[in-house]
Amino acid sequence: AAAGLCPCRALLARRGGALRALCGSVRGLAAGQETHFGFQTVTEAERREKIYQVFESVAKKYDVMNDSMTLGIHRVWKDILMHKMNPSPGTLLLDVAGGTGDIAFRFINYVRSVREHQLQRKLKHHQNLSWQEISESYQEDKFKLLGDSRVVVCDINKEMLKVGKQKAQHLGYSEGLSWVLGDAEELPFDDDKFDVYTIAFGIRNVTRIDLALQEAYRVLKPGGRFLCLEFSHVSNPLLSRLYDLYSFQVIPVLGEIIAGDWKSYQYLVESIRRFPPQEELKAMIEDTGFLKVDYQNLNSGIVAIHSGFKL
Amino acid sequence: KMAAAGSLRRAGWRLWRGRAVVRCQLSPPQHPLQASAVLRRVSDEQKKEPLASSSQQQFDSHATDHQPEQEPQGPRPSYTGQGGQESEDYETEEQLQHRILTAALEFVPEHGWTAEAIAEGAKTLGLSVAAAGMFHSDGSELILHFVSQCNTKLSELLEQEQKLVQLGEAEKKPTDQFLRDAVEARLRMLIPYIEKWPQALSILLLPHNIPSSLNLLTSMIDDVWHYAGDQSTDFNWYTRRAVLTGIYNTTELVMMQDSSPDFEETWRFLENRVADAMNMGNTANQVQSTGEAVVQGLMGAAVTVSNAETIRAVR
Repeated sequence: AAAGLCPCRALLARRGGALRALCGSVRGLAAGQETHFGFQTVTEAERREKIYQVFESVAKKYDVMNDSMTLGIHRVWKDILMHKMNPSPGTLLLDVAGGTGDIAFRFINYVRSVREHQLQRKLKHHQNLSWQEISESYQEDKFKLLGDSRVVVCDINKEMLKVGKQKAQHLGYSEGLSWVLGDAEELPFDDDKFDVYTIAFGIRNVTRIDLALQEAYRVLKPGGRFLCLEFSHVSNPLLSRLYDLYSFQVIPVLGEIIAGDWKSYQYLVESIRRFPPQEELKAMIEDTGFLKVDYQNLNSGIVAIHSGFKL
Repeated sequence: KMAAAGSLRRAGWRLWRGRAVVRCQLSPPQHPLQASAVLRRVSDEQKKEPLASSSQQQFDSHATDHQPEQEPQGPRPSYTGQGGQESEDYETEEQLQHRILTAALEFVPEHGWTAEAIAEGAKTLGLSVAAAGMFHSDGSELILHFVSQCNTKLSELLEQEQKLVQLGEAEKKPTDQFLRDAVEARLRMLIPYIEKWPQALSILLLPHNIPSSLNLLTSMIDDVWHYAGDQSTDFNWYTRRAVLTGIYNTTELVMMQDSSPDFEETWRFLENRVADAMNMGNTANQVQSTGEAVVQGLMGAAVTVSNAETIRAVR
């Protein structure tokens, strides 16, 4: 594939060795360093391109595939993430690589129910309400119920955002939700903006994880929280064998049957194996400047939630 | 690096003694964003919170990465946040957590001992509400922090009283009066939070909190007896503490349900319990001396009998 890309190869054959070196280095600079795409070795630019294509093609079947691959357990993982976040009303959430909006919708539901409980408690305390006050409290519509909580869904892929917006319309989420096209390594937001930054099953697809972490640090308010939900390494050897078996034999087949795309799901399971394990990711997060960094294994390490604070 | 660590430790010691403010200058950090956004200089704290000596020496890894130069300084400038050119010795995460919990206490009457109160507290310090995620969601840390704070206040109070007595400016109280006053002073600290205190008690009884709450309780009782002048080294040590713990706990429970003005009923209950305890002590003494008398009598009888036998034998 590389040979086809560079027309200067033909020139090189005729010119000298120095020019060959120059052309090679220019190509290297343009394309970036060597990195991995699943089990292949590619340049950074190639990787970004390939990942974009992967998600472009799976976007429509993304949720269906999630359900079938994880047997629906991904919903539980995302619920656990939301419980761990325990957002209070008035929280500003940035969900990066949030594509089809799973985390964002859960956030809205959570904040709404917390707010409802708060209002109920307040009403209980005020025993002597006038009729007007009571009727006003019953007129609390969804917007007020959401309070000042807002969630911004940011994704690099237009297709994923499109699917997400459609889902939101379908499920009836309108207030407090924004959709932004952006790159996790270079977020289009100001400093010190958000209370919580989440990236669920997305950081694996980022080419320069350290840049993404630095951006996360930048856009978070002081005291803000970084949460990362991602596939990780299983330490239990028996479970690890079963998991490998399932990943490499079953998932690509499901991908072919349900989404008609074997390669994308092959990439998916390979990228999980290439992702740094829990401790290494924790070290990377600490290096960026986050404090009180910790991780929680779900299903003995199949998935891990990393959490850090900007203090 | 050794020199830096050593100088940091010395700096921590000086700060703990409440002396000169130490100023360090940061070398340009390796990552542009590494300067802590929130952790303040230790000198900024003006509270009398108990700073465990160990925590003074655990500066977080980012602070130790920098090469500090120490220059003594007079009145400190305003706080410079992230990206400030100069930074001082950073407080540790634990100290920041203490600050958040202290700030959260004022929201307890409204929100209860919950993560919401902690979130409000964090907001007043200029932090995001997400900082409440650092703590357990059931509010345990907030309650334990409060209890520990109250115990420290009580110790300080008793210390001051003792100083006055030593200086001759006050009279030494009899033990029962002392205990009554100490328990009353400690329980009065609960008054601002009395409505939500039952909730706090139930949380303190959760299995994962029992070790810490029990620890705090026993050390408080220990303190009170220490200042009461208890120097026993025998079994009395245990009985005294058990008795006072019982008095404290029962009085606390009575206080929860007391609706009399200024909790008069509670203080009267306390007075009665302390009086009972004192009497019990006397009874124990009486029992002991009676026992001794009985034993002596028996010994005397035995000697007499043996003498009588000897005399008879001699005859």
